[in-house]
This record gives sequence, C-alpha cells and structure tokens, in this order.
Amino acid sequence: MKQSITTALLLLLIIGILSSCTTKTDQKTYTTVLSFKPGEEAKIAEAFLSLKDSTSILLKAGNYKFDNLSIAQVNHILIQGEGHDKTVLDFSSQTQGGEGIRVTDVKGFTIDGMTIRDSKGDLLKINKSVNVTVTNLHAVWSKADSTSGGYAIYPVLCKNVLIENCYTEGSSDAGIYVGQTDSAIVRKCKAAKNVAGCEIENTSNAEVYDNEFYNNTAGFLIFDLPDLSKRGGHVKVYNNNIHDNNFRNFAKAGSFGTTWGVGNASPGSGIIILAASDIEINNNKIINNNTSSITIASGFAVDEKAGEKINANYSPIPKNIRIHDNTIAMGPAFPKPAYEHRIGQLLVATEAQLNKLEPTRKNKRIPWIMYDGITSNILTKGTALNPDSICINQPGDNVFVNADFLNIAKPENWKPNTNISPYQCK
Amino acid sequence: MRKTYLLGSLLLFSTTFSLLMEQGCKNKTNQQSGISQGSFEFKEKLSDYGFFKGKLASLNPVDGIFHYELSTPLFTDYAIKDRFIVLPAGKSIKYTEEGALDFPDSSIIIKNFAYTNAAHEKVMIETRLLVKDPKDKKWKVMNYLWNKEQTEAVKHITGARIPITLLDETGKKYFTNYQVPNTNDCKRCHIKDGTLIPIGPKARNLNFTLTGQAVNQLSQWVAKGKLSGLPELSKVHQLPVWTDKKHYSLEQRARAYLDVNCAHCHTKGGDAYNTGLFLDYQETNADHLGMRKAPVSAGGGAGGMDYDVVPGVPEQSILLYRMNSTEPGTAMPELARTIIHKEGVELIKEWIRSLPKQK
Repeated sequence: MKQSITTALLLLLIIGILSSCTTKTDQKTYTTVLSFKPGEEAKIAEAFLSLKDSTSILLKAGNYKFDNLSIAQVNHILIQGEGHDKTVLDFSSQTQGGEGIRVTDVKGFTIDGMTIRDSKGDLLKINKSVNVTVTNLHAVWSKADSTSGGYAIYPVLCKNVLIENCYTEGSSDAGIYVGQTDSAIVRKCKAAKNVAGCEIENTSNAEVYDNEFYNNTAGFLIFDLPDLSKRGGHVKVYNNNIHDNNFRNFAKAGSFGTTWGVGNASPGSGIIILAASDIEINNNKIINNNTSSITIASGFAVDEKAGEKINANYSPIPKNIRIHDNTIAMGPAFPKPAYEHRIGQLLVATEAQLNKLEPTRKNKRIPWIMYDGITSNILTKGTALNPDSICINQPGDNVFVNADFLNIAKPENWKPNTNISPYQCK
Repeated sequence: MRKTYLLGSLLLFSTTFSLLMEQGCKNKTNQQSGISQGSFEFKEKLSDYGFFKGKLASLNPVDGIFHYELSTPLFTDYAIKDRFIVLPAGKSIKYTEEGALDFPDSSIIIKNFAYTNAAHEKVMIETRLLVKDPKDKKWKVMNYLWNKEQTEAVKHITGARIPITLLDETGKKYFTNYQVPNTNDCKRCHIKDGTLIPIGPKARNLNFTLTGQAVNQLSQWVAKGKLSGLPELSKVHQLPVWTDKKHYSLEQRARAYLDVNCAHCHTKGGDAYNTGLFLDYQETNADHLGMRKAPVSAGGGAGGMDYDVVPGVPEQSILLYRMNSTEPGTAMPELARTIIHKEGVELIKEWIRSLPKQK
C-alpha cells in the first residue's frame, strides 16, 4: 500500500517535470546557446550562417536592422526573442533575395517572441522543414499596399507545423500561408489588413482554430491549385472569429484580371474553399463579411482548363464539405471595393439576379453560403443533385445560394437558386 | 595491473598509428589538393591550397588541376568566370548520363569570379570552392574574397556587396553593387532533395568543343585519364550553346538558357519546387514550363500579370518580367544577379514571341 502511494507520487512528480519541460521552448535543451543584442547584426548574420545542430540564439530586446537572414541544413534550432513588443527585426533595407528570414531543410525549428517587419519579399519563409514551431511572432508590413511583400509567415513543403499566438498585418498575399505541407496547426493567431488573413493551400491534415481573422480582403482560404507537389484536404476549421473582412484587394497580381490566387478573392469574403476537399467548418463566428460568408468554388470557376489539369494531386471539384453550427451574419450591403473587383462584380450581379428571379425575397442580401454550383456532374455527365457531398447544417433563413456559375455568361439561362434541401446534412 | 598496462600500450599504439596514418595521408594529398583524408576543413586563404603557381591572380594551375568551360554558363553580372577541377592523385571522374558527373572523394571544383573594370583590366572578386568531403562523401561550399591588392583571397562566409564599375562584352559600362553570396545562398542553389550537389559539370553542358580547339572537351578529359566510362560522343546528351545561332534553333537556345539560369532551383526537389514551374531542358509538360500557368507564390513579383508564360506575348509573361527586373522580391534569379542580362532577356523574349498563340 505504502509502496503504491510512493509510486503514485513518483509518477506525479515525473509527469510534473515532463509537462513543465514541454510548456515553453526551453533553451536548456540546446547544446549551443548564443545571445546577442542590437548593434551586433553582423555577428548575428554570421552566427546564422555557421550554425551547428542544436543551437539556440537569443536576440535581446531592441531594434535590429537586417538585409536578410538565412538558416540552411541544420537541425534543432531555436531563434528566441524577448517578446514581440521588445525584440524587433527590421528588413526594410533588404537589397537581395525574396525574403527577410529564410529557413531551408531544418529538422526542429522554432522561432519565438519577436516582431519581424518590412521585407521586400516574404517575411519568414520556411522551406522543406520538419517539426516547425512559429510562436509569439508578429510579422507585419507598415503599409498595407501592393508594395508589401507576399506572405508574412510562410511554411511550405514542410511536415508538422505549428503556428500559434502570432499576428500578421499588411501582406499583399496571405498573412499566414501554409503551403504543400502535411500536418499543420494554426491556432490563437490574429491577422488583419492582409489580402488573405490565413491560407491553407495544397496542405493536408490541417487544423485551424481559436483564431481571429478580421479586416482583410478575405478572412480565411482553403485552396488546392494544380501542378503542385501534393494535394491538400482533411482540414478542420473551428472556434474562429472571422469578421469584418471587407478590405480592398491590394494584391499586385491581378486584382482585376488574374484567374488564380488571392488577387481573385473578392473584398468582403469570410471563408473561401477553392477546389479543396474533405473539409469541416463548424462553430466559427463569421460576422460582417459583406460579400460572402462562406464561398465554395470549383477550379472551373477561375480556370476553364481546370479539367485538363486533373491528376492524383489535383481535383478541381470540391467535395465532402461539412458546414455546421457556425454563427453567421452579414452587413446590409456589399463593401464598396466589391463593386470594383471582378469576382466581386459577379457576386453583386448574383444578388441582383436572385432577387429578380425570386421576388418573394424582397431584396434580401446574397445568402451567406455561396456555392458556384459546378459539380462533378460536368465530368461524369451525371444529374445527381448533390454528387459531391456538400453538407450544410446552418440554422436561419437566407443561408444558401447555388450561384449557377456555369451559366453566368448567358443572362437568360442564368438561374442562381436558394434551394438548400439537397445540401442539408443527413 | 598487468591488464591496465596492456590496454594502455594498446591505446597508445593505436593513437600513434592513426596519427601517423593521418600524417602520411596529409603529406600525400597536400601536394595535390590540400585535403586530409578523414575530415575536411576549409583553409583560411586561397593560396594555402597551392592550386596555382606564380602570381595567384594569374590563376595558372599547378599540374593535375585542369581548366574547363560550360557550353551555356550561368549569368552573373557579366562576371568573367574561370573554372577548374582538382582531382585526387590517380582518381578519375565517372561519367553519368543525367545530373552532375560522379566525382571521386576529395575532388574540388574551383570557380573564380572577376570583372572587367573601366580600364579594361581583369579584377578578381571572389573564388568559390565546392569540395567533396571524403569523410561523409558530401559536397561542402566555401567562398574566398579577393583583397584590393589582388594578391590573396580570404575565407568569407557572410556574403558582401561590393560597389564596382564593370564593362560588359560590348564595352558598355555598368555601376553596381556586386553581390557575393553567403554560404547559405550557395546552398540554396546547390541543394536538391536535401543534398548539396555541383550544378555546372553535367556531361551535357561539358559536351562541346571549345573555341580554338580541335577536340571535344569530354574526349580531352578521357585522353588525360580524368574521365572514365564516357560512351560514344554521339550518345552523350548535348546542351545547346545559347549564343550559337548557326547550330541551334531559337527554341533550343532559349531552353538551354533557362536550364542553366533557372533550373537549378526550378526543378523537382530544388529550391523553387513549391512553384510547380520546372525549367529543366528535358521538361516537356507545358504546365510545368509555365505555359499559361498561374504563379503560385509570386506575390508582387507577378507584376500584376496572370501567367508565367503567355505564348506569343512576352510582355504579358511573368517569367520575362522577373528576368527583366533587379528589384528584390521581383528579380529572378533571386541571388547573384544585380544587373539585367539584356542578351538573355532578348533571347527569352524572342522565344516567347515565337511560341504559337493560344486561347
């Protein structure tokens, strides 16, 4: 009896020790510990270039100016600041390269507790790395316009990525962008005044929860694009607050013309799912995104040749989409920038056409959930009403519109309709 | 007691033996390459290696070190490049059909960068070394920066910006901040699938006859015992010479140019793998070649345009736009180019214009 109590106590002690070790990035686990202060930029750049495996670098409070920084082909690295409001890395004098901080081929990379700002390209790009943690990082551009770089936090071709407690602002593409990655978590982050707050692209097994995406052109995107290294899908999106994303689209690439990418996102978009499959969106607050709360679109909506690009890594038709138990509300009118934007104009037209076809709607807003209506029937020549398992369980009225984008070019045939019954979850 | 004694002397013996062995190897290889068997450390100064005899800047190689050229080279700000290979004594390179040739352990590839100044003098800037470490069989990179006096180049890892005034081949004058890459920049271009590899010395890019010479470069190597396993020359792939309009079509020259200048990153497993734009000479998939392919992560680098290449319409092609820029975030390649290569831009422009327009 006494023995078992001792064992239990010992066990508790061990658990206690273990959990205390895992709560915060712990510099003690690194064999080389370096520390720098502002003014030592040249030494820091050199330290990054000559890193050995298992090194932590502490950047003490203050402002640092860098051209760019890079880490390549080492393992178990921690870049630690003293907090986003204390350690600030400024890349505005960048003269070469696509990004502020570039990380390539690293197993075990953590960056924690600082602000990085104003690079010419992306702010933090992490390429082909495994076990990546980006935490307590603010990645911002002072100006939210097309002179800002592309992505603020940009892991791509990675495995096991955690992005948490971060803030991004001013990206001319996505604030947080996870691309061609397997297994990613984005949580407790904020993103504002980006073209896209957060984007999960060709990324599988992702969870996005407890975030706030607001005042972007589009709050949150899940895209699959053709011709890339892997297919995305299996994405869970819950407990997020995605609100007031009505900002103008300032992407340099094709605000008015491009077929792909975020330049295509209409101002006023809450969530956009493009050509991606196996997605669950539940228990989010999606408020005052005044063009569309949730858009489900196929690759055909933006690329008439999408069918030619089908392969194991790409299917243009979204399928297995579950949308339920979200709190959704829209404002009284489209945001002004939507009228100037190509897709925005289509959505404005959709609202008008709908109200023309269904006079009983009495000039209501476009419904919350916009489905482009392009299904796998166009590939199979089938006639099923919901062949791709789109399932919606959202209370309220004016929830859904099938925008019938296949016929949008022929006004007399164009019949968006609000019949949600084929799409009700069973 | 006795046991301890025995063990001790055994230890002493083995240590002495290995030290002697190492010394022996050092002596042997020092004359040749400066690599000691078992581990490799980069030396502090270029002269420490003994690659060149006489005045260092004359780049006059000692016996056993040989010069080579590429049919289509990478553009680096109109830099003059001198390339050499150092092989360990008695060893030869093995022919491979695809990718870089198979170099023996302890090989060193030397690439020297210089420019022509306003007084038409050749001025050394940097020397890059690629070394195949015999210990782990992996290639390693290092940079050496030349001093003002042009007497020595010293190990340099952090990269540098050097203001220079240079002349191109036509005598046109440029002022620029030449970018010496840092060691991670070197790795970015040389890494494929997580492994650092040489880029230039592929059979197909060495398979030509240098101006003023009678015999094909690869055949010369075989004759000197530097290369083994070379099949009949007619069976060896040949990368077109990008400037040779007489022997190669516009398409061939443009694709060779893109291969050399872009495909070390724009290849599966390369640094730009995520873009889906692959510009290897062998690539045949029109999407991967950028034909009406939308950019994936170009951001502002796309310049407001929709497609990497719009066949027939160079002025709407992102690829050309990025080649024709020196702005960070837009300029391609991202590294080691601060001047627009106007001849290269012209070639690619002509090629895109020649492609049949499509809807």
